[in-house]
Amino acid sequence: MMSMWWAQIRAVIRLEMKKTFFSRRGLWVYLLALAPVLLFGGHAIDMMRTRESRLEIARAHPVSKEALRSIKGQMTMDEVIAKLGEPSSRRSAGGRRRFRTWISYTDGENQYTYGFVNDELESVSIRDTGSLSDDKIVFATAFQFFFLRLAIFFGCVGIFMNLFRGEMIDKSLHFYLLAPVRREVLLIGKYLAGLIATVVIFTASTALQFWLLLLPYDSATVSQYMQNGGWQHVFAYLGVTALACAGYGSVFLAAGLFFRNPLIPAAAVLIWEGANLFLPATLKKISVIFYLQSLCPVVAPPDRDMNPLLALLISSAEPTTAGLAVLGLLTVTGVVLFFGATQARKLEINYGTD
Amino acid sequence: MSGPPPIEQSLVVFENVSRFYGEVLGVNRVTLSIPPGITSLVGPNGSGKTTLMNLMTGLVRPTRGSVRVLGVEPDDPEKLFRLLGYATQFDSFPKGLTGFQFVYSFLRLFGTSHAECEKQAWKAIERVNLVEAANRKVAGYSKGMRQRIKLAQSIAHDPRVLVLDEPLNGLDPLVRAETIALFRELAAEGRHVIVSSHILHEVDMISDQVILLSNGYVVAEGKISGVRSEISEHPMQVLIRCNKPGALAARVFEQDSVVEARVHADGGGLLVKTRDADRFYKLLNRIALDGIEIETVAPADDNVNSVYEYLIGGEESTR
Repeated sequence: MMSMWWAQIRAVIRLEMKKTFFSRRGLWVYLLALAPVLLFGGHAIDMMRTRESRLEIARAHPVSKEALRSIKGQMTMDEVIAKLGEPSSRRSAGGRRRFRTWISYTDGENQYTYGFVNDELESVSIRDTGSLSDDKIVFATAFQFFFLRLAIFFGCVGIFMNLFRGEMIDKSLHFYLLAPVRREVLLIGKYLAGLIATVVIFTASTALQFWLLLLPYDSATVSQYMQNGGWQHVFAYLGVTALACAGYGSVFLAAGLFFRNPLIPAAAVLIWEGANLFLPATLKKISVIFYLQSLCPVVAPPDRDMNPLLALLISSAEPTTAGLAVLGLLTVTGVVLFFGATQARKLEINYGTD
Repeated sequence: MSGPPPIEQSLVVFENVSRFYGEVLGVNRVTLSIPPGITSLVGPNGSGKTTLMNLMTGLVRPTRGSVRVLGVEPDDPEKLFRLLGYATQFDSFPKGLTGFQFVYSFLRLFGTSHAECEKQAWKAIERVNLVEAANRKVAGYSKGMRQRIKLAQSIAHDPRVLVLDEPLNGLDPLVRAETIALFRELAAEGRHVIVSSHILHEVDMISDQVILLSNGYVVAEGKISGVRSEISEHPMQVLIRCNKPGALAARVFEQDSVVEARVHADGGGLLVKTRDADRFYKLLNRIALDGIEIETVAPADDNVNSVYEYLIGGEESTR
């Protein structure tokens, strides 16, 4: 019997794959997956161009790092220029009483900007071209707050919700219901088809984002990072992406069976998952995002500008261990699919009222 | 645990089945036993034909009562759809499939191997004469072609029960004749062919028995002649072609069950209305011996059209 079910599941997957990957309705899922890729792509291009331009300036106006660091407060602009040479750029602003000037130099890596007020040095700012450790945090933040909570979330709404509901709207679901297939087997087949599609689309996006994150860095920096936990990060992010698809996929597949209007459950789940930060520790565990965040390899720091009152409302549930998080998420997925299967068994074809 | 009684294993049985869609009645208190052969469900729009078919196939569930198809409950799709094929009236198909892929993919859902599915799919497509168009997208098919590919899908796995919702709609006369021949062939093989239709003269031509529905109720069922003879408020009409219609008219009025006799406009026949057909036919035998030459005797309203008209009235005009 198991081999029969498996053959039927494969038949369902084969039929669903084409629809899931190439449906016009699902175009925006690709856009969601592409958005962070464009973000990191833009960041990588900007970083590489900045670095290249600084190297060019450094070649035209060579100045050593020691010389740049030797500039002290209360020096005049003429003294600084005498010591470092002509700056690569100069800006001025202000009136007669308080006249400000900024001059910039670069050693090829960092940009040093000296600010003068009425010709006296007042500030020194050093801007690097970005560091990998900073970028890792940027990646973690974008991954947790955009990619998981919005891109994968809505991607799963688009793909999984349509597996049953979309076919009811198209009036083609009876094709499956007239075959000798248990409804549970049909549900699993459709779920796996949706899972394969979302995992392929979103893990490809994650991998591309990660590649773009590392692209501006030299090979030595990259290989040092990869050998010191980088590969674990890559696999962890890919794993979390796949688990997010599994978790949200089950929720929206079931929602497509229970609700006629997909916006209602999508909004309800979005609010529940979004409010996860503010939920008591026990309730936090009845969500997908809690387990996903526990599995993320880099902790995304809370927003520095967050209102302290709001910060007080945030309850801290101890993140669970990786094993427990995976188990918890798979349990949530299994329970949701069980309820979905129960509903699928009761499903009737009455397109007129659907 | 004992299964259904053996007789039930060759019937489609409805036991006191009702189905409501909220406040709206689908069918009410339907009790039926459908034997093998061609059975037509006849009734106006909204009379409950499709609901009855959907109940048989588990696409909807009864609010009350039970349905069994050859002893199998429609809630058990794994068993049911190996016995039953259903061509629905829904004119929508999974996107992007060719006619062949539509039938083939359906067969793959049975868990059968690629080679076997391919063989069965082509066989079914051949049976509905759609081989030439089989590799074209279903989306580009005409209404008639879509009907035929649905029929191919429903017969592809060689089911014992075929449920066909308005299968003759959209077919041109030639294909219609071929399709009716196919129904007869399938019925002759001992299968149940359950057809719904509005086109009464076709129902009359193809059906071994009819189920007449009106407003969700079964108003009559059985062989058409049997159903007709039970409608006592409408006398049977018999058309007799003979050489002396006037004399014949005088003789038939000897019998009190004859309520009307009208000489045909061409003067070569007589239309008689009688409340007792059996006694009337016996009388005719005697009359024939008395020298009136009788060429033909045929019931004039022993057809679905008349039965439908008598039982359901003018709710839906016949086509």
